[in-house]
Amino acid sequence: MNHRLFSLLLAGLLLGLSLPARAADAPAAEPTATTTAAASPAPVTTAGLDQRIQDVKADVIQLNRDLLVLEEELLFPAGTQVALFVSMDVGKMFALDSLQVKLDDKLVASHLYTPKEVSALHRGGVQRVYLGNLRAGSHELVAFFTGQGPHDRDYKRGTTIKFDKGREPQYIELRIKDAMGKLQPEFDVKLWQ
Amino acid sequence: MNTPRLLQRFAALALASAVGLAVAAPNNAADDPPPQPVQAPHYGDGLFHFFQGRYFTAITTLMVSQHFQRVAPHDDEAEVLRGGLLLSYGMHQEAGRIFAQLIARRTSAAVRDRAWFFLAKIRHQRGLLPEAEAALAQVGNKLPPALDDDRHLLHAQLLLARQDHAGASQVLQALAARPQAGPYARFNLGVAQVRSGDNAGGSATLNALGQASAPNEELRSLRDKANLALGFSALQAGQPEQARTHLERVRLQGAQANKALLGFGWAAASLKEPKQALVPWLELLQRDPSDSAVLEARIAVPYAYAEAGATRQAIAGYQQAITQYEQEAGQLETTLGAVRAGKLLQALAERNPSHLDGEMGWLQGLADLPDLPHPSHLGPVLAQHDFQEAFKGWRDLQFLDANLKGWNDKLGVFQDMLEHRARFYAERLPALQARARNTGAQALGGKALGLHTELTQAEQAGDGLALATEAQRALLARLQAMRATLDRLGDPPDLAGARERHRLAEGALTWELARQEGERRWWATKALTQIDQGLAEAQDREARVAQAQKDEPARLEQFARRLAALSQRLAVLQPRVAALQLEQQQAAQDIAVAGLAGQQDRLATYGTQARFALAQLMDRAHLAQQSTPQDEHAPSR
Repeated sequence: MNHRLFSLLLAGLLLGLSLPARAADAPAAEPTATTTAAASPAPVTTAGLDQRIQDVKADVIQLNRDLLVLEEELLFPAGTQVALFVSMDVGKMFALDSLQVKLDDKLVASHLYTPKEVSALHRGGVQRVYLGNLRAGSHELVAFFTGQGPHDRDYKRGTTIKFDKGREPQYIELRIKDAMGKLQPEFDVKLWQ
Repeated sequence: MNTPRLLQRFAALALASAVGLAVAAPNNAADDPPPQPVQAPHYGDGLFHFFQGRYFTAITTLMVSQHFQRVAPHDDEAEVLRGGLLLSYGMHQEAGRIFAQLIARRTSAAVRDRAWFFLAKIRHQRGLLPEAEAALAQVGNKLPPALDDDRHLLHAQLLLARQDHAGASQVLQALAARPQAGPYARFNLGVAQVRSGDNAGGSATLNALGQASAPNEELRSLRDKANLALGFSALQAGQPEQARTHLERVRLQGAQANKALLGFGWAAASLKEPKQALVPWLELLQRDPSDSAVLEARIAVPYAYAEAGATRQAIAGYQQAITQYEQEAGQLETTLGAVRAGKLLQALAERNPSHLDGEMGWLQGLADLPDLPHPSHLGPVLAQHDFQEAFKGWRDLQFLDANLKGWNDKLGVFQDMLEHRARFYAERLPALQARARNTGAQALGGKALGLHTELTQAEQAGDGLALATEAQRALLARLQAMRATLDRLGDPPDLAGARERHRLAEGALTWELARQEGERRWWATKALTQIDQGLAEAQDREARVAQAQKDEPARLEQFARRLAALSQRLAVLQPRVAALQLEQQQAAQDIAVAGLAGQQDRLATYGTQARFALAQLMDRAHLAQQSTPQDEHAPSR
């Protein structure tokens, strides 16, 4: 009896030893996922279902794209569209907590940042904080950033820009930068065409 | 290979390469490359969602920005990212098409190498192994170091798939020999060496790893795995002493502890040391009763008692094991009933909420067992890759269902909005048309033309009279009146002084007008240009209003048509998703049921073995009992 039990156990264990553990992946966290990935193909019994699920995913993604395009064209036509973005360069001098944006003295965007969002900004992501409509002509944008500056001090800064809106979409990027010379954060605005 | 991690690493590399930087593989925020300025905010917007793990939003945002052509100069990076995201969703065909197009587009060598690598990966996942090898062979030397390791690993996998163990071992050996090679590379090499028949080499590699220092839990777990593999390999080779040495190194509280304890017991049993075998096996009996090693220990313990000559304890142990197996089987039946009733997936979804803000994505592992009767049976089922994939698929479908329902509501609002716009437009059109007829732009144009003519004439006259000020005109009129008076009075000598003064005044005025003529003409020309611009703007606006009046109904009509077509697609998709949800739920349940049925079979096998062993022991005891009284009675007789 003991030999049979032992060989069963051994066979199971050796089967479990397969190649694909890698430096970046923790096999303890995903033991079976990695072993299957090596041998690959999906279970034969649900292969047809898998394919149909992939098809429906593709269709839903495509439909979402078309719906989002329609939504943008319908609600924010190119001629009046204005989009505000926030980006961060390095960000060691400033830990962003919140942002308020006023367009022509009217509050249009207000955002409290989660650690995940701040991390995404640090990694090079650019957040679209506002998408709206503006008529052609001169406008003024005021943005207030709050957070913690050097030496963990509470920090609130504002930046202002006047711009002329034409008949093309207007993209405005609010940039948070580290001024290493001054050891202070800097806030500036870039107008994209 | 872990696709999400690979994708994260890849995206960061894509971002870095966009600004011409090479960075090490970043897997978490601490290792992140410094932020790099993105040259298109809309591409950065896609990355913003991507870096938060919101992959569905990332891909749709990216596709919308691509539609409006606003990701330049990151077009290639955006395509690679889209391909990678589709790949992570298992959409191999579309991802493959994207990478093939990138290659055909003759993009930069760095992007092309990444595209070939991903294409190879896709083909490997689809089981197209020769094609995958061909794609991998196309990868040049522009792959970032982090992906280069993955390339070698994929190469080794492909070689293993065609049973070329020696080749795979060679590839992994080169990978492990790199200065930056981590313990995983050495573990992979050790396993490949064992599988290729190089037991001595594999044992040496794993043995070194099994004794290496491990500063964190991840590496300690890997070290346990290496020692466990060595221990069982030694047991299989009939070297129980050596097996014990390796198994002793496995931690008592780690994920491999139960298997190590069981193996340790078998090593002692092989050395005919049943009492030593009892130590780990009795410890196992205190642990999670659903663990396969613990189940096996229940009959291993009486086996050791029997070997040690403690027949009574052995019989009691087997009887206890049979009772416990029966109890376990009953509980398993209850669990099976709950799974068949469809409670498993819902309970799992409640206990393991999506870490991706409810978005479609992969599963990071099912951390919590569901709130069902006897949930410990479900541990091994939930650890199965097939079940995790099925559960993930079901949850993805739930997300798609909610997404479509959300759009359904939105489309209703859009429809109302369009109707409102059409009605508003129809109501305001007559007033707009009336206003358009009375702008007076045409009359103003005529006036401007007249002024142009006057200015031309003034230029031709060149005397500056046409551009004289009101005061100068008044002065000129007075001088003309004075001349008329002087002419009427004749030429008496006492008027000579007056005539001279008139001549001087007239000359001064003419000189003044001539001097100022150039400047005044410039100002007049400028003013007329401004008038012309203002008029042109007004006419342009009028034309646009007129065009808008013509276009607006067509535009609204086009929106309505698109809306109807999209609603139709939505209506077709919703039942498809709902039906697939049910099918997927059933498929996931079937996998769980099959897993639990396997546990039932194992229990039945253990039960049979326990009964068989018990019967043997009872027989032996009975025989002994029969012989012993005779011996005892013999002296009395």
